Amino acid sequence: MKNYTILIKSGLVSIFVLAVGLISCDKSIDIDGNLKSYTPSSPDANAGTWRMLVLSSSSSIAVAAPTAVTSDAYLAELAAVKDAQSKLTKEQKDIIEYWSAGGVLRWNQIFRDLVAEYNLPPAPKADNTYPVPDAENPFGDPNFPFANPPYAARAYSYVSVAQYEALKAAWHYKSVYNRPAPYQVDSSIKNLLPETGVSAYPSEDAVMSGAAADMLKSLFPAAVRKITLRAAEQRNAALWAGRATASDISAGLALGKAVAVQVLARAGGDGMRTAGGNKAMWDGLVVNAESRGEIAWVSQDTPKRPPMLPAFGAVRAWNMTPAEIVANRPAPPPPTSSGEMDAEVKEVLYYSQNMTRDRLAIVHKWADGAGTYTPPGHWNDIAEEYISEARFSEVRAARAFALLNMAMHDAAVACWETKFFYFNPRPSQLDPKIKTLTGLPNFPAYTSGHSTFSATAATVLSYLFPQGTEYFDEQAREASLSRLYGAIHYRSDCEMGLAHGKVIGGFTVNNALTDGAN
Amino acid sequence: MKKLLLLFSICTPALLFGQTINDGLMMPAKTVCTGFVYSHDQWTNYWEGELKRENGNIGTLTTTAATWMAAVGVTDKINVIAMLPYVWTKASGGTLTPMEGIQDLSLAVKYNFFTKEFGEDKFKAFGALTYSRPVSNYSADFLPLSIGMGSQNLSYRMTANYNFKKKIYVNASAAYTWRGNVELDRPSYFTGGQIYFTNEVKMPNVFDYIVNVGYHKGPLQVDLNYMQQNTLGGGDIRRQDMPFVSNRMNASKAGLFVMYYLAAPKGLAVRAGGMTTVAGRNVGQSTTLMGGLLYTFRFGPQPE
Repeated sequence: MKNYTILIKSGLVSIFVLAVGLISCDKSIDIDGNLKSYTPSSPDANAGTWRMLVLSSSSSIAVAAPTAVTSDAYLAELAAVKDAQSKLTKEQKDIIEYWSAGGVLRWNQIFRDLVAEYNLPPAPKADNTYPVPDAENPFGDPNFPFANPPYAARAYSYVSVAQYEALKAAWHYKSVYNRPAPYQVDSSIKNLLPETGVSAYPSEDAVMSGAAADMLKSLFPAAVRKITLRAAEQRNAALWAGRATASDISAGLALGKAVAVQVLARAGGDGMRTAGGNKAMWDGLVVNAESRGEIAWVSQDTPKRPPMLPAFGAVRAWNMTPAEIVANRPAPPPPTSSGEMDAEVKEVLYYSQNMTRDRLAIVHKWADGAGTYTPPGHWNDIAEEYISEARFSEVRAARAFALLNMAMHDAAVACWETKFFYFNPRPSQLDPKIKTLTGLPNFPAYTSGHSTFSATAATVLSYLFPQGTEYFDEQAREASLSRLYGAIHYRSDCEMGLAHGKVIGGFTVNNALTDGAN
Repeated sequence: MKKLLLLFSICTPALLFGQTINDGLMMPAKTVCTGFVYSHDQWTNYWEGELKRENGNIGTLTTTAATWMAAVGVTDKINVIAMLPYVWTKASGGTLTPMEGIQDLSLAVKYNFFTKEFGEDKFKAFGALTYSRPVSNYSADFLPLSIGMGSQNLSYRMTANYNFKKKIYVNASAAYTWRGNVELDRPSYFTGGQIYFTNEVKMPNVFDYIVNVGYHKGPLQVDLNYMQQNTLGGGDIRRQDMPFVSNRMNASKAGLFVMYYLAAPKGLAVRAGGMTTVAGRNVGQSTTLMGGLLYTFRFGPQPE
């Protein structure tokens, strides 16, 4: 009896200890990633001479000469900076701290947030049809846009390119005007942001905020509040931190916005408007596949949903011509009625029916489906850490994201061109016993978008960060296999996607080799 | 005989949050009640935030569970209760794969800290502490097909019970459940209007209450109950999005169960019941049916 009592008592005590232990656990999580403030390893003072992508030159948009730092107007601006610094609140200090991790890196996180927020397919209507997101009614149901992987790949590329162009132009004028920063003019002003090694006029923070915000407002019009609040924060942080005065900022903002106008003009004519196709085009895809003796892709959504952006393959790429896209299109997949395809279907069925926890973790790690920042966003996430650790200047960070995202946009174009050229069914269409470990994408199987995006990204990132090549390749292979493990792709979709992606990435790397930044 | 019957009722099946400890009954010292309960839960409509809808890519979602449970009378006033379910999920529509596995082990201590008699009536009050945690490495990031939520939980419960003339009872129980963070297999997620660049999800805590009215005399117990569960925070499922582990999942459910103690074999009881969801948010409008067999026996040297 006594033994029981001891057992009971010690049991109760241990439960109590466990309880107290759990309560004292810290539930707080770090949601902003692990970006740290850094001083750039090089100011990249000659970035104004690097090759432009959309603008004709880094001086094609005029920026007026600043007033002298001895002028009354400038001295009044300095006084405003001093005044702001003298009464910084905790919230303002936090905003400075946030942006000290790098403006380009932070904006990249903001794009990914917006993509995840808007990456939701329209819900069906009562009559089993789907409404089309409407740019003129972005707050409606469905929201505009549906930021699916091609939409996202294109959006990431345009915003990254706009920032890159705007920063090269800013660097040009910085080297021309050489206006010092407020903290360099007046020693009573402290510099609360990392030293950049470049002059203050026009403000790079304002340039970035203007270019990014105007691009994003066009791409994600319903997110105007989120976008403009962040943009204003970034400009305020530059002023509060003693890095820029009001005139540095207004010149930067005007330059950034003017660059956005030119990049948006390119976007307006790139073919995206008609990428959704129409009923006649969708029907033609079926006829085309069947005329070749193949089983045509059928939507497995309930109710059946029109395919995702079937004409995206005709959207203008950045570093490949339409002829190069066709010339590099992967060879046909095994015919749908062939023994080879039969074996591929059986392999997918095996993974469907023999799920392991390790494979499921890989599937979920790379799912990047609805409601996420998409596979291109995932590769931006991977790049972020390397850019931060390499301590890239803002303009070099912008170049890295521009190269990565131009290449992934090209991957989206080339992959979609392939998918809708072959219009190949998903494994679960050929064998309904196949159940999937993640959401089934609503577009044809061949080739795998994940594989294409990932190999393209790994190719560009390996050029930028050769020390990471092994890691990038391994991540790309894992991303690719995750689609086979998830039972939504055949092995040939994945392998051909990887090979194709590598070729696509090569086009961007080739251009980068001679852009003046090496 | 009568005493044994009373003991059975402590084995309330796992309906939600492993609440087996919200009634007004205790097992006497050195008595164990153990058995299995099978439950079948199904929904076609669910609430996407506050919007009730169906989804052709899910069809009907069915969750079945076989739950082992045991309640041990440590003393007449202190019981230890354990539960362990094996869960299967499947969707009738769409292509998503069914899931199955051992879910969470719950361990609870229930303490009858106050009793007062009023003639033939009796009032009792209880406190209970429940700890639960996953005992298999299932994915909580595959809702609605995940077999569980993946968090460690610690629940504090108070229960009051009033028994009229030894046959009619009313019971009220409320609990606050602290939930630990959950780790996903992916490096980021979006919920509640913002992206999180981490695989760690902060799980909002949960408050619930349950009220019962019942008849309990001889071998028969009939219980009508209503329960409300509120998640204290968390985002809504967005339009046409999948559910997420930290969503604000609220539910109001009404239920009935019957327990009957068989004449033979001695110590064996059958239990059957059902529950229906009358209102909810970010949950399925589910109907649950369950049935179980529970066996009671004594152990160790018995008191005189």
